[in-house]
Amino acid sequence: MKKNNMVAMILAGGRGSRLFDLTKKVAKPAVHFGGKYRIIDFALSNCANSHISTVGVLVQYESILLSSYSARSSTWGLDSKGGGVYVLSPREKDETGLGLYAGTADAIYQNLDFLDQEEADYVLVLSGDHIYKMDYDKMLKCHQESGAEATIAVIEVPMKEASRFGIMNTDENDRIVEFEEKPKQPKSNLASMGVYIFSYKNLKKYLKEDAKNPDSQHDFGKNLIPAYLNDGLKLQAYRFKGYWKDVGTISSLWEANMDLLEDNSGLDLFDPDWKIYTDDASATPQCIGENAKINNAFITQGAIVNGEVSRSVIFSGAQVEEGAKVEDSVIMNNAVIGKGAKLVRCLVADDVRVPDGMKLGKKNSEDILLVSKASIAKAGEDHE
Amino acid sequence: MSKVLGILNFEPSYVHVRGLEDFRPISATSILGRYRIIDFMLSNFTNSNVESIKVFIKNRPRSTVEHISHTSYNLNSKRGKIQLLHGDVDYKNNELFNVDVQAFHTYMDFIDQENASYVVVAPSHFIFKQDFNEIVEEHIKSKNDITILCHSTTNADRRYLMGDLLKLDDNKRVTEMYKNRGKNKKAVVSLETYVMSALTFKQLVEEAVMTSSLYSFSDIVADCVRPMKIGTYQHRGFVACISTLNAYYEANMEIKNEKEMLKLINDDWPIYTMTNDSCPTLYKPGAKVTGSIVANGCQIEGTVINSVIGRNVVVKEGAVIKDSVILPDTLVDKNVKLECAVVDRLSIITHIKELKGSKEEPIYIKRGDRI
Repeated sequence: MKKNNMVAMILAGGRGSRLFDLTKKVAKPAVHFGGKYRIIDFALSNCANSHISTVGVLVQYESILLSSYSARSSTWGLDSKGGGVYVLSPREKDETGLGLYAGTADAIYQNLDFLDQEEADYVLVLSGDHIYKMDYDKMLKCHQESGAEATIAVIEVPMKEASRFGIMNTDENDRIVEFEEKPKQPKSNLASMGVYIFSYKNLKKYLKEDAKNPDSQHDFGKNLIPAYLNDGLKLQAYRFKGYWKDVGTISSLWEANMDLLEDNSGLDLFDPDWKIYTDDASATPQCIGENAKINNAFITQGAIVNGEVSRSVIFSGAQVEEGAKVEDSVIMNNAVIGKGAKLVRCLVADDVRVPDGMKLGKKNSEDILLVSKASIAKAGEDHE
Repeated sequence: MSKVLGILNFEPSYVHVRGLEDFRPISATSILGRYRIIDFMLSNFTNSNVESIKVFIKNRPRSTVEHISHTSYNLNSKRGKIQLLHGDVDYKNNELFNVDVQAFHTYMDFIDQENASYVVVAPSHFIFKQDFNEIVEEHIKSKNDITILCHSTTNADRRYLMGDLLKLDDNKRVTEMYKNRGKNKKAVVSLETYVMSALTFKQLVEEAVMTSSLYSFSDIVADCVRPMKIGTYQHRGFVACISTLNAYYEANMEIKNEKEMLKLINDDWPIYTMTNDSCPTLYKPGAKVTGSIVANGCQIEGTVINSVIGRNVVVKEGAVIKDSVILPDTLVDKNVKLECAVVDRLSIITHIKELKGSKEEPIYIKRGDRI
């Protein structure tokens, strides 16, 4: 039996409806990010780098791509004997029949047999849609030393933004005394990162009780954590310092990409000791043409730039054709920016072809324009 | 279909890539920023569905072993097999005797075990795109004993020197095979790729070993022009023969062109290589990059013109790199000016502020140098 065995469970079933067309056919964790990655690469690479060998990925919404992608354990080096990435989708069961995951806690509850089988001592619950680099092993040490039943990773956010987050109110030893979901009058600025470590024995007990409760929404934040607190179980806050971003909206996804252009964003992808692993596209090196102009960009292999690019991120296989101008934008995989097209503050989805000469986005607009196949078709109609 | 065994030969004795060859076999040399030269021929094999490949290494096997063992080349991980066999086991004291047929002979057991009907012997110092199935099919139809892949060139006076040239009759059969001493511009050059039955391969190796301990495989093929029927298969695409530093430099410069590169590497004919999991490249404000190919993991603040930049290269502010090939993990410090240079891996250029070679004779900075 493995000692102190921690099994990671990545919650990756959500649709991410605020990403609109980006998540029409693809679950949010599988959306591309930062040139060559998918969002879930961060959670999976963090697990691999934290010496976790068994990872469950809980999928539900539009899961074909996400499941097949996650199942290739070797991408993250998670293909050791006895370990691996296990894709866990809702299944038909002998006693209860077919049931979808009703909430985050229910998703784990429905896979208690998996956790039993893996002989988990600790369960690390993660979100599949956050961009950050974190050593979960250090967090486990904190969990063990404090003797808590659950440890929740928290990050300090600006007080004026605190009402957008789940806020942990703690005592002087960082023991959590109260949890408030999006409080109007926040008492603290410690936001939950959606990263939890539970000692398995009690987690199993509480999940079983929660499953029986017809009034529960079967959610970690709304139901399970309050139940722990009510019963006086010890909950510890683990303070994380560093870059962390929830990329749930077009503008936050754009911002997180733009952060890669900064030297001091706190997200260092160049660090050889904590690489973020991803599917290796057998793409050519990036090709920068004779008339190209590049001023501050993050560009990956397979990209071809013959136009002008400033303050932008160019993904694998994307092309910026001659005379095109791309500014403050994110150009996702295999998108083509046609000759002479001009883009400002845009996020161009995978495989979109922006027609020659088309102008999209506004320099001073507050919003980021999502350019999808549908929006190009519509722009074409309006033009006519 | 009959089973085809791929044999990736090591470089013949005429290959001398100044500087680079001191650190690794030519096959393991980095090219185009993210590949090794060997990736092109191995991908030719696997893209042609050849599942068993023997890779022969002349000496200094470390980099080839490391690279191949970490690259899948898209082979089925159970059925497919790339086996590394290296030549200098018995010839440590005299490089002269370290020839390909001796290595083939030593490992004939392993070749026999494959029970292949046909053998494709391909070189490791060439870059070209070729579906080997086409040659095998043509070979079977032709009833030739050997089929050689060849290429018509107008550059034989300065390229492929000491390689094999072919004289052909009207049926495109070889009537003579001789060394290129650079006398003519126009010639038909052997791409050192031979297709034959496994039996013929074995016979040739035996004969070569008996004839002379200095004999190479191409020597014995040249001897067989009369007794055997040797046919040819024309290759019409891009060919680079990396036999000198200049040829290495020119190959980088030629493939660097977007159109040329996409002919050689594309979705229908991917070139597999080892992933390094480097992040994308960051072009910082002030960077100027034109006419170049750049691998991932670089941080560029300076100017890069008409060059090939390898993985994880750092180009500091004010540095200017022109017409150069920079191998991975190199640092080009502030205000350093490089022109027509080949900078080997892991070197740091900081004190010398200007290095200039010529297109005919690029300057070489050795691996790990700090200057």
